[in-house]
Amino acid sequence: MKISLDWLKDYIDLPDGTSLQKIAYDLTMSTVEVEGCEAMSEKFQNIVVGEIIEVLPHPNADKLKICRTDIGCGETREIVCGGTNLKGGMKVAVAKPGAMVRWHGEGGLVEIKNAKLRGVESYGMICASSEIGLFELFPADGEAVIIDLSDFDARPGTRLEAALGIDDVILEIDNRSLTNRPDLWGHYGIARELSALYDVPLKEIPAAEALKGLAPGPGLRVGIDVPERCARYMGFRIENVSTKAASFKIQSRIWRVGQRPINALVDITNYVMLAVGQPTHAFDHGNIKGGITVRMARDGEKLTLLGGRELSLTAEDLVIADDDEAVALAGIKGGSKDSILDDTTDVILEIANFSPIGIRKTATRFETRTEASVRFEKGIDPQRADLAASMAASLFADEFPGMRITAFTDNYPRPLGRALVEVSLGWLAKRMGQGIPQEAMLSTLGRLGFTAEIDGDVMTVSAPTWRSTGDISLPDDIMEEIARLHGYENFTPTPITSTFERPINQRGHELERRLREYLSFRCGMQEVFTYPWVKDEHIEALSLPTDGMFQLAAPPAPDESHIRSSLLPNLIDAVSKNVRFAEFADGFAIYELAQVYIDHGYETRQDEREKLPVQRRRLAGALVGGAGDVRGLFRRGKGIVENMPRLTHMEPFSFSRPEEGPAWADDTVWLCVTRSGETIGHLALLSKRAALGYGIKQAAVMIFDIDVDALEPLPSRANRFAHLPEYPLSEYDISMVFDESVKWADIEAAAVGKKGPADIVREARFIDEYRGSQIPSGKKSVTARLVLGSDARTLTSEDIEKSVGMITKRLSKQLGGELRA
Amino acid sequence: MKEKLAELRLDGEKRIEAASTLAELQAAKGALVGKKSALTELLKEIPKLDPARRPEMGSATNELKNYLAGLIEEREEALRLKSAEISPDFDLTVPGIPPLSGGLHPITQMRYDLDDTFRSLGFEIFQEDDITSELFAFDNLNFPPDHPARESMDTYWLRGHDHGRGGERLCLRPHLTGASVRYMKSHEPPYRFVYPGRVYRNETTDARHERAFFQYEALIVDRDVPFSSGRVMVKGILDRVFGRDVPVRMRVGFFPFVEPGFEIDMGCLVCGGKGCSVCKYVGWIEIMPGGTPHPNVLRSAGLDPALYTGFYVNIGLDRLVMMRYGVDDVRLFHSADLRFLSQFR
Repeated sequence: MKISLDWLKDYIDLPDGTSLQKIAYDLTMSTVEVEGCEAMSEKFQNIVVGEIIEVLPHPNADKLKICRTDIGCGETREIVCGGTNLKGGMKVAVAKPGAMVRWHGEGGLVEIKNAKLRGVESYGMICASSEIGLFELFPADGEAVIIDLSDFDARPGTRLEAALGIDDVILEIDNRSLTNRPDLWGHYGIARELSALYDVPLKEIPAAEALKGLAPGPGLRVGIDVPERCARYMGFRIENVSTKAASFKIQSRIWRVGQRPINALVDITNYVMLAVGQPTHAFDHGNIKGGITVRMARDGEKLTLLGGRELSLTAEDLVIADDDEAVALAGIKGGSKDSILDDTTDVILEIANFSPIGIRKTATRFETRTEASVRFEKGIDPQRADLAASMAASLFADEFPGMRITAFTDNYPRPLGRALVEVSLGWLAKRMGQGIPQEAMLSTLGRLGFTAEIDGDVMTVSAPTWRSTGDISLPDDIMEEIARLHGYENFTPTPITSTFERPINQRGHELERRLREYLSFRCGMQEVFTYPWVKDEHIEALSLPTDGMFQLAAPPAPDESHIRSSLLPNLIDAVSKNVRFAEFADGFAIYELAQVYIDHGYETRQDEREKLPVQRRRLAGALVGGAGDVRGLFRRGKGIVENMPRLTHMEPFSFSRPEEGPAWADDTVWLCVTRSGETIGHLALLSKRAALGYGIKQAAVMIFDIDVDALEPLPSRANRFAHLPEYPLSEYDISMVFDESVKWADIEAAAVGKKGPADIVREARFIDEYRGSQIPSGKKSVTARLVLGSDARTLTSEDIEKSVGMITKRLSKQLGGELRA
Repeated sequence: MKEKLAELRLDGEKRIEAASTLAELQAAKGALVGKKSALTELLKEIPKLDPARRPEMGSATNELKNYLAGLIEEREEALRLKSAEISPDFDLTVPGIPPLSGGLHPITQMRYDLDDTFRSLGFEIFQEDDITSELFAFDNLNFPPDHPARESMDTYWLRGHDHGRGGERLCLRPHLTGASVRYMKSHEPPYRFVYPGRVYRNETTDARHERAFFQYEALIVDRDVPFSSGRVMVKGILDRVFGRDVPVRMRVGFFPFVEPGFEIDMGCLVCGGKGCSVCKYVGWIEIMPGGTPHPNVLRSAGLDPALYTGFYVNIGLDRLVMMRYGVDDVRLFHSADLRFLSQFR
C-alpha cells in the first residue's frame, strides 16, 4: 500500500523536524513495515516549467520546431521539439540536462544530455506526458502531444512537482504487515498511528454540509436478506452529476498512491477508500429496476462483471441485486449493468459493510481480488461508513457544485460493540519484564482510541470499534499495544534463568547425526536433499508399487503427484544428474536421510482426534563407479553398511539372502540387511533395467537403503577393551586357487577352523582375489592373510609353518583349494 | 716451518668449513691430508731437518694432520645427516592428496551448528513427522477457520485425506510450529526445546522461493519469560552462528500463533548496516519471526495461559545459509547437484 505524506498532513501536524527517515523507521518498528520511499522531487529532478516565447521553424526538418523557451532566472534557451501542439506563450515541462525520461514513453529511463538535433543544438527536451510518467494525469491523443501546463499558476523555472502541487513523498508499506490491522488500510488510519506515536492530535474529518438535515426516506429502498454478511448498507441517490474529470487535486492524489484517475464519480469513491479504508461504490441509478437487495446468489445465477466477464454464481456468493437480477458482486466488484457510463448523471453511492466471511472465498473463486475485497476480507467496523459518508458528501459537493442528494437510506441491522478487555497490571509488568507508569499506559491507549480505567490491579480497556473486528480481544493484545508504542527496543533485555534437573539425553537424535557424520566424514559420501514428490516415470523405472503411496491433492506437476514411499526414486535421479558431469566421471557417493510415507498403520499420538500414518525415517546411499568395478563398489558399499553399527554406536546388524530381492536390484548382487531376524534394508546393485530407466548407461550404482527407525542406538559406547597380546603376532599370506563357486565365508571358516586350545590361528583376512592368464577359467585365486599368535610364547618359524600347513590342508580337503606356486 | 704449519691449519679449517657437499669435502680432504697434500710434503721434509728439532716438528705436523682429519670426519658426518638423499629438484608445488571427499549438506551443517548452540543452552531437540493434520498445522495454532493458508493453493493436502476437518485432514506440514504443541502435549513444563525440519508449501518457485525448505524453531515456555528475554536468546544464537557481534532488533510483526508477534532483524553483515542492495538499503535484514505463544496455542497444549508464557522464534535455515555463503538461488539446496554441494565440505 502506498501512503502519501502530503495526504497524511490533512489529518495530523507532524512535530517540527520529523524526517521522513524517522517516520519510516518508527512505523516499521511499532506499526507496519515501510519497504521504501519515493520522493516526487527525485522522480522529476531537473524537470522545470518553461514558457515558450516563440516557435521557429527548423532549418533541416519539417516536423521539428525550435522553441525559444524561458526556463526561469532570465534564461532563454532553444529547444528542438517535434510537438504538434506547440505555440507561443504555452507553458510546458522542460527536461533539462540530467533529467531522466522515457523516450516516446517506451523502454527504460534515459538521462537527458545537450544534443544536436538535425544540426541544431537543443537544450534538453520539451516533454510529452508519457515521457515523464505523467500520462495518467495528462492523457494525450498522440505521442507528439506536449503537456500543456498553461493552466497552472507557476513561473518559468519552477520545479515541475512544485508547479503541479505534487511535491510529495510516497511511503511503500508491506501489505503482509497489515493483514491483522484493517484500520490501517487508508491514510486516516496511518495518521492515527502517527498521532499516537508522536503524541500529536488527530484531526477529525468534518461533517459534510450536504448531509446536514438529511434523513432516511422512502426514495431509496434497500433490503438486507443476510445481516450476518452485511452489517450495514448506506445508500445515497445523488443527481446532477457527470463523468467529467475530477479536479486535479483529487486526480493527482489518487495517482500518487497508484490509482489511475478515471472520472470524478469513480475517483471520489477511490479517494474515500484510500483516505479512510472504507470501500464505496457508485453506480448508475437509471439502470436499477426498483429497489436494492443484498442477498445470496442462486446457484447458477449469472452476473456480468464490469469489463464484460460473465460469472456463474453459487449460493455462497453475496450479491447486490435490483428487483430483476444481480447487478454487482457485493464488496468485490460492480457489474456491467450498474456501471457508470459516459452519460451518467444520476447515481447511487453505496457505502456498505460486508463481513469478511465469504468475501475472500468469492473473490478467490472468481479470481477477482480487488482493492475493495482486500479491505473487506480483513474486517471493517460498520461505524467507519459514517466517516466515509461525510468525506464522500463533501467531495461530491466540491466536484459537482450543482449536485443534489435526493434520497438516502441507512439500513444498519448489526452495529458493532466495542471490545472490552480486563488486564491485570501485575501480569502486564511481569510479561513485559518491567513496569510502565500508569499515566503513560493510559495516555498511549487513549491516543490509539482506546478508553481505559484502572481499579486496583485491574485495568478495564475498551477498544475502539475500528480495532474491535477481531483484532483486539485478549489482555495480550492490550500488552502489545502498550509495548509496541513504548518501543520494543526500549525494553531492558532480561536474561533467561534456568533450573538444572537432568542432562539432556536424546539417543535417537544423536544416532541420526552420527549416521550422517559417519557417512560424510568416514565414508566420503556427500549428503543430498531431494523433494518428497516423485516422478511417475521413476516409480516405474524402479518397479515400485504405487499401492500405499500417498498422492498430493494439488501436486507440483501432474506427473509428480505421488510422495515417496522410498528414498530411491529421487536419490537415483540425483545420481543420473551428477553422472553427466565430467568432474564426477570417476565416481561419487551420495546419501539422503529423510522420512518416507506409506498409507497404512494409522495411529494416534498426542491427540485422540488425530490419526496419522506411520512415517519412518530411511537412510539411502548410492555409490557410483564404472560398470567394470561392480566388485569394488560392492565391497565399498558392504564395508560402509557392515561398519555402521560399530562406528555409530548401535546394536549390530547382519546380512541375509532370502529367496527374493528388491524389484529394482540386480538378480545376483543383492543382500538383505537384517537385525534380530527382521529385514531392515537392502544392499544391492541397481539393475540394468532400472538404470536404463534413468538414462544411466555407463555407470554401476551400488545402493543401500536402511530403515533408520529400526535401528537401536546403544545407551552408551559398548565396545570393551581387549588386552594387548603378551607375545607378538605373526602374519602369513597364502594364495590358493579355488572354484568360482567357493565363497570367502567358507574359506574363512575353514581357515580358522574349530578353535582348539593349541590352535594358533587367530584370524583369516581377505586380501584380494585374482582371475587372469595364470588361473584356469572357472577358477579364482584368493589371497588370505593368516594372523597367528599364542598366549603362551613367542611363535617359532616351525610353529608358523606347521599351522599354515594344517590350514592349507584343511582348505584343500574341504574346499578343493590348490596352493599357488 | 712453524709459520707454515699455522698457515696450513688456518687454510684447512677454512676449506673444510666451506665444503657444502660430500664431493667438495672429498676434494678438500685430498688437498689437505692426501698423498700429494702440502702436509704430506712437509712430513717428507722432516728427516732433512736438524735432528734436535725433528721430534718436535714431527709431532706438530702429525698433530695437525690428525686434527684436520678429525675436522673432515665431523664435517662429513654433518653433511651426511643433512642430505636425505633427495634431489634438490624435489617439487614442492605438487598438490596434497585430499582426504575422503564426503560432506554434510550445508543446511545440515547450519542445523547442527544451531543444535550445538541450543544444546549448550539446555534445549532439547524434537522432531515431528512430515505428514501432519489440520488440527496441528492450523487449528491448534489459532489460525481462523477460513485462513487462506488452509487452502490447497498454499498447503499440500493429501489426496483422499483432504476432506473433513481437523485431525483427519492430512497434509505435508506447511510449517514447524504445529510440532511445538505435540512436544508440549507429551512433556511436562517448563519447556526449552528446538524443532528443526523441512516444510512444504504449494508455491511457484524462483531464486527466492521454494516448495520444500527448512525451518528451525525454538521455544521456551515457563512461568516467567518476559519477551525481552527473547532478544537475549536471539542475539546469543546469531553471534554464535556468524562468529561475531551481530546487531539485532525486534519490531512489530503479526502471526496468528503469537501475541505479541515480532519480526526480528539482524544488522546487514554485507554493508555493516550502512545500506546495500542485499538489505535493500535499510541496513537490516529480516531474519526470523518470533513472539510470545498465543494463549490459544498454550491452551491447545494443555497449559493455562494465565500461568505460562514463553518466547518462540522461527529461523529460516535456507536464508541463513544463503547469508552465510552468499548463495543466490534457494533451489540449489534441493538440486542434489554435487558441483554445488561439494563446495561446503
